[in-house]
Amino acid sequence: MANFFPRWSNLLPLKIAVCAGAAVGGIALAFSYYATPKTLVAGYQPTQPIPFSHKIHVDQIGLDCRYCHSFVDVSGHSNVPTGNTCWNCHQHVQRESPKLAPLHRSLDKSYPGYDGKPIEWVRVHKAPDYVYFNHSAHLNRGISCQSCHGRIDQMEVVYQVESHSMGWCLECHRAPEKNLRPLEEVFNLKYDAQQYIDQHPGEMTELGVKTTEDLGLKLKAQFNVNPKMSCSTCHR
Amino acid sequence: MSKRILHHPEKPSDASTIAWRSQGQLEDTPSFREWLEREFPQGAAEMADESECETSRRSFLKLMGASTALAGFGMMACRRPESYIVPYTHAPEWVIPGKATYYASSMPRSGGATPLVVTTFEGRPTKLAPNEIHPDNEGTDAIAQASVLDLYSPSRSRAILKSGKKAKRADLDQVIAGLATNKAAKVGFLFGADDSPTRNRLRAKLASKFSAAKFYQYEALTGDASVAVGDGVKLGVDFAKADIILSLDCDFTCLDSQGPVSAFYDRRKPEGRDYSQKPDQSKMNRLYMVEAAYSLTGGMADHRLRVSVSEIPAIAAQIAKELGASVPGGLPAVTEEKQLKWIKGLADDLKSKRGKSAVVAGSRQPAAVHHLALAINQALGNLGGNGPVTAYQTENTGLGTLASLKADIDGGVIDTLLVLTPSNPVYDAPADLDFASSYAKLATSIHLGGRTDATAFASTWHIPAAHYLESWSDARTSRGVYTIVQPMILPLYPDCVSDLELMVALLTDDGKFLNGEGNSGAASPAYDEVRATFEGIGGKGEAPWKKLLRDGFVADSGYKTTTPKASASVAKDFAAVAGFAAPTIDSLDVVFATDASILDGRYIDNGWLQEAPDPISKLSWDNAALIAPKTAKALGIYDEVIALEPVSPYTGMKNAPRSPDNEAQKRTARMIRVEVNGKTLELPMLIAFGQAENTVVISLGYGQGFDDEDELKRGPKNAAHVGLVGVNRGFNAYPLRTSASSYFAKGAKVTNLEGKRYSVALVQEHNSMYGRALAREISTMTDDKKGDFSAQLAGVSKQGVDAHAEKPISLYQSKDRKGQPLLSDPLHQWAMAIDLSACSGCNACLVACQAENNIPIVGKRQVAMGREMHWIRMDRYFAAQDDPKADADNPAMVPQPVACMQCEKAPCETVCPVNATVHSEDGLNAMAYNRCIGTRYCANNCPYKARRFNFFDYNKRNPLIANNLYKGPFGEKQVGAAPHLQKNPNVTVRMRGVMEKCTYCVQRIKDAVIRQKATTKEQVLEAGKPSPEVKIANQSLRVPVDSFKVACQEACSAGAISFGNQKDGAASRMNRAKASDRNYQLLNYIGTIPRTSYLARVKNPNPAMPDAPFIGKATIDMV
Repeated sequence: MANFFPRWSNLLPLKIAVCAGAAVGGIALAFSYYATPKTLVAGYQPTQPIPFSHKIHVDQIGLDCRYCHSFVDVSGHSNVPTGNTCWNCHQHVQRESPKLAPLHRSLDKSYPGYDGKPIEWVRVHKAPDYVYFNHSAHLNRGISCQSCHGRIDQMEVVYQVESHSMGWCLECHRAPEKNLRPLEEVFNLKYDAQQYIDQHPGEMTELGVKTTEDLGLKLKAQFNVNPKMSCSTCHR
Repeated sequence: MSKRILHHPEKPSDASTIAWRSQGQLEDTPSFREWLEREFPQGAAEMADESECETSRRSFLKLMGASTALAGFGMMACRRPESYIVPYTHAPEWVIPGKATYYASSMPRSGGATPLVVTTFEGRPTKLAPNEIHPDNEGTDAIAQASVLDLYSPSRSRAILKSGKKAKRADLDQVIAGLATNKAAKVGFLFGADDSPTRNRLRAKLASKFSAAKFYQYEALTGDASVAVGDGVKLGVDFAKADIILSLDCDFTCLDSQGPVSAFYDRRKPEGRDYSQKPDQSKMNRLYMVEAAYSLTGGMADHRLRVSVSEIPAIAAQIAKELGASVPGGLPAVTEEKQLKWIKGLADDLKSKRGKSAVVAGSRQPAAVHHLALAINQALGNLGGNGPVTAYQTENTGLGTLASLKADIDGGVIDTLLVLTPSNPVYDAPADLDFASSYAKLATSIHLGGRTDATAFASTWHIPAAHYLESWSDARTSRGVYTIVQPMILPLYPDCVSDLELMVALLTDDGKFLNGEGNSGAASPAYDEVRATFEGIGGKGEAPWKKLLRDGFVADSGYKTTTPKASASVAKDFAAVAGFAAPTIDSLDVVFATDASILDGRYIDNGWLQEAPDPISKLSWDNAALIAPKTAKALGIYDEVIALEPVSPYTGMKNAPRSPDNEAQKRTARMIRVEVNGKTLELPMLIAFGQAENTVVISLGYGQGFDDEDELKRGPKNAAHVGLVGVNRGFNAYPLRTSASSYFAKGAKVTNLEGKRYSVALVQEHNSMYGRALAREISTMTDDKKGDFSAQLAGVSKQGVDAHAEKPISLYQSKDRKGQPLLSDPLHQWAMAIDLSACSGCNACLVACQAENNIPIVGKRQVAMGREMHWIRMDRYFAAQDDPKADADNPAMVPQPVACMQCEKAPCETVCPVNATVHSEDGLNAMAYNRCIGTRYCANNCPYKARRFNFFDYNKRNPLIANNLYKGPFGEKQVGAAPHLQKNPNVTVRMRGVMEKCTYCVQRIKDAVIRQKATTKEQVLEAGKPSPEVKIANQSLRVPVDSFKVACQEACSAGAISFGNQKDGAASRMNRAKASDRNYQLLNYIGTIPRTSYLARVKNPNPAMPDAPFIGKATIDMV
């Protein structure tokens, strides 16, 4: 019997192997780059049932974070405001705005579509199930909302700024001084470290703080901040 | 490749104690060897049968291939699924999302309510803890801990039934209204034996409204002690005052409460409750026990007399005679030399402690024994005054019995009955009473119950009962302290009603029946009634009421003391036991025991209790007949259980066992037939050590319903009476029981059912450890070899091979490359001490841990394979002395709870390929579940066998449906079912393929640490300076000494577990305990440096007793 396979087919297995290798390698590379929280999670900006603008409420009106997220420095969870928190103001202000229809449905007994059901806000920031992040542990020790959530006060619609990946968490746990700020400034989203130093010249010289790095390190020493990096700190 | 076996040092040649966990080990069968040498039993890690092969490697690859191909279509779905945050519309007061809210409440029970603090998360009760400020706080037992699961039980009754069929509420309302308006109604009320002031007040009102009303009380296994002491009178013991306790078959530490027991346990520790004094044997109490079968109290006893239950009246009479109490004649005299000596020694000891001793009789014992116990207490001056025994007048008086109820039904005195007892009279009434047929004669029977049990189906109406965590009520504790029962949540199902609500409806003129919320969001009508009762006890106004709700009790509201009034029937009571002779092999005694898991059968649908192994027999999910080894041999049913391995004809070596009593899922027990009172019962038998000869012990409450899946093809029968947990479980011994033999029956016959066997989930050999001096015991009595008490104390840490074994070389560095210690946290280093002297082995910690840490139940089949998930393993050892003078048939019983030891040099950590188990700075051996890939190397390398593996997704797929776990993705899911509401939100719910173990309740540790850290802000505010200028001291970040408890420690009524921070020094109870001479480390010589250590058990024998030299030597060596 004649040669069944032509001569060129001798190299075929090698070619297939190279091509397949390149394809697999490419997929692996693409996956490891794109399938990370940095690209998949950061920037997540769902539409909310009420187009609530943090820019208006925080930046223009000047509400403190804790007016609505009232237990954020007490509890592990940051609570989303209950319907009656919104209603406190909005039964008087902008009451007739069509954007507030869901609020009327849940709280306004005179509203035609009233059903008393709570508003379903879409979750933006989500820690995985096996992570136990505690807001109060951070806020009471000089880590601001801004460090993880960004400039919420500038957002018309809230989106996720940081990746919230484990590597990102650990970055700060290894060097918390980059994010520490005086406790008075934790809820001040417009905080600027250099500005703070300039505004408190007396104290800062007394503490020997000149640069923003100095301030972080000083606060770390003063507050006795030693973040843990072992698994059980967050996983249990 | 087989596992490399660590060769433990040789056992010292002078050791005289023989210790064992099971008869298999006592006879050293290869199957037990197997358990010892493997991390998991044979079969636990393999796919053994057909159904398991469905998910074989091949089908796994097939599925994987398909899912990879399908994954391509799914790529567009890479977006994370939208999830929602749903806040309240109106914020409820006190609720902080993510933070637990605690309420004082209590669990009503027949022996006295258990005061509780209930943890709730956003309104869901998840965990129960004892109320530590309550004057009658006695910790919690397994049943109290598990009762929260009943609230969420999927098999809980939730619909109104009329003659067993679903009915409308409106129809029931009509019946109630009709009853309420008919003041001449011949209505009866059947209550449980718990004492509720509001219920008793409403009872009086009902009696005045309905002139023909009758009231009865019934619980299946409460006994009739009141015959000896008077109607509604009960004896309570203050164990703090009792130097010597004689228990006549009374399991007062566990199933037969006689008053708060924490004082009893405090006096088991020579260093005192808080380990704050020098060891002093004179402050310890001494416990004498007379019993037929081992109880947990018997395990604690310093001297235990093993006699058949028939002989107990005679023994009690002999003791009474020795002490000069008047005893009516007619009882057989005690003639056995040994027993007489024992009684003499006991009587002399009791005489020396007049007024400072207590005699307690088991509440289910015949009335004669109660008369005798009372007479002894009176003769010794223990009763009343400043003595330890007090008679209390309860408010449960003037109530009829079940027998009088039957007579009234038959006589037409009542035609309507409201069944409010938690017992199940149609199922559990004595057989000769034939209560079911009388019950059927009632024109209307209304049953209020949490389960659709036999009584529910036999009634004309069944109303689902609200759980005690859903209803307003009140209760009295064992000494009568007024205690609130407050609801944590509205009834989960709208038709659930509490007993008070039903009684209130009958008291209204028009019979308006309100439950749950009442009218337009108002509180339940029961609330007003409880408040009205309280005003008469704690005072009017808001302030005392608020205090009651916060504290849970009213101080100084206990029962009034009284003098016991013996009934006129004394002579009759003694005549009833006069003919009792010791049982013989042809005429055995059958003891109908209260079950440690399901009590009288009411908890048969509670998965935690069913899966918790019986503390003594170590049997889970079933009951069995327990028989002592010699009796079993005489009956010819012993050998086969322990079939010794045959010798191979070719090699002359012993083969692997061919006996049907193999390990793992193949383990079966021989079936026997018990014949007594003219009835028969076929059930499996197990060997029980320390049990009286010629005695069969069968626990009650099982065998309530069967379906098609039953192993013995008993079904379908009454399947609707039970849920998935209770179906096909165990054997019903109630039909064997008559009114006259409600506790034990005489004249039983046992026959071997040749070849018939039943699979049993027996965990006594699971996770057995090797090693020397696992549990250690010393005696306060001077021993020839071991010296006096102080010498024995000093010798604890040198027991086993710890005196001479070489210090092992460690592979671990204790410092990192920079020279920093690896356990670097300067503030917290957590550790635990477990005092074996106080541990009775009651399982409370085991169930508390299950509740706290979201531990799943796995079902009988998986337990049989050794796959139980309990993080705390309650080891139970027996130990006999190798001495002809010692009674080898009455071995000591030693319990030892073992959980992860949090070794500083943990063998599990080095073998984990993915660093899923690593050490934290504060000394915890942490588990990162999301990192675990399930190699199980860690479990293989754990010398304490403390690790558990999720062989299946027990939380997602219901393990109780037959073969469900093996159906993989096609199995029935239980996501969203009510039990998920019980889960602790601060603990990960683990999935399939993940290793888990005790974490020292890391969630509680972290919560305490974070709470302490949050004080930073308070400190800044207090300083009144800008925050950068405030220096936060190291010390202020340290959690206050002993300011929180871990779940097992909290539940323990004995205070046997202490947990704390090593850095706190002697201020922490845990460190004081560890400073005791009794402190030792488990398997010290392998050098793991465990953070959990044990305190040796101390026995306090009476040197004048014949068995004294053999007491306090039960140091357990496993070879």
